[in-house]
Amino acid sequence: MTAFSRMAESESQCIARALRRRDSEFIGRMVSRYHYRLLRYLVYWTSRREQAEDLVQETWLRVLERAGQYNGRLRFEPWLFSIARNLAIDHLRKQQTAMHRMCREDEAGVDLPAPDFESPFFAAARSEDAKRIAAALGALEPIYREALLLRFQEELSLAEIAQVAGAPISTVSSRIHRGLSMLQAALGGGADAA
Amino acid sequence: MPLENHEKARFLIHRDLVEGISLEDRRWLDAHVGQCAECGRYADLSARAVRALDWFAVELDPAAALRVENVVRSRAEGMRSAEAHAKSLWIGTAAAIFLTFTGSAVTWGPLAWLASQWNVPSRVWQIGFAAFWLLPSLMLALLPLFRRRLLGEHSDSKGRTI
Repeated sequence: MTAFSRMAESESQCIARALRRRDSEFIGRMVSRYHYRLLRYLVYWTSRREQAEDLVQETWLRVLERAGQYNGRLRFEPWLFSIARNLAIDHLRKQQTAMHRMCREDEAGVDLPAPDFESPFFAAARSEDAKRIAAALGALEPIYREALLLRFQEELSLAEIAQVAGAPISTVSSRIHRGLSMLQAALGGGADAA
Repeated sequence: MPLENHEKARFLIHRDLVEGISLEDRRWLDAHVGQCAECGRYADLSARAVRALDWFAVELDPAAALRVENVVRSRAEGMRSAEAHAKSLWIGTAAAIFLTFTGSAVTWGPLAWLASQWNVPSRVWQIGFAAFWLLPSLMLALLPLFRRRLLGEHSDSKGRTI
């Protein structure tokens, strides 16, 4: 066992103990520490900032409820992201069901509010290249965006991403390859056009 | 240059980014990319695609972050006090049940003696003992556990009283 993995292990165990003891000081610090990463992950999933913010809170409340399930043997981040992922999927499913219902009502003559959706990827894009990437990211299915984020920004290992996604490593690997290819195509298209 | 070499190079470029490649593969890839402008461009594009993900920083709202932190902290405190309360209830109940049975064992002998002195049939005094000593004691011991249900209160899994 390397010094790094020993350190990571003791940190995970520290977190597991704090969660089991409901140590509000420690948990508060963790919420603050992981807030940005969790928010970014959920924005990648939902493509909507406000929903992502609500889901961040839901995720932490779910973490408290399931504190007994985290034993500290594995790193905390994959466990945290897998909880956030399940909530995001539930949320998207509910949203889809509601959309279907609204569509049916719309067919029956009910006025629907106009969507005010602006992709957070576009909001963050400040250059032409960034806009092309934003379009590619927006077009990608959330599972590909998720794989890219977890690998290249969260720097999780393939095994950890597989744990979060509940998918085999080979599937995770091919999702990353596919996502990367789409981003490359977006950048390459721009370069060719220029 | 054979087509397979370009395919292999592109495969290794992606693999290097995703999971890393062996030293031998790296040497081969470096040599190939050094000779092949097209694969060099592909490697550059791949690296740019990964770097491009950093452009999408999510702006943090400190007020929202603080709000979440406060909600989670207060829920953690609520759960801790609810769990401490539940723990003390269980300990109290266990102690009460223990005392009920210990007390019953202690009083059993003298009651049996008294019943024999007053010629009370054993079935009668035993039913009386169960009805007026054992059952009330057990009900009192278990009462705190079911108090909330009896009063129509419920506690959800998150430790909140409804």
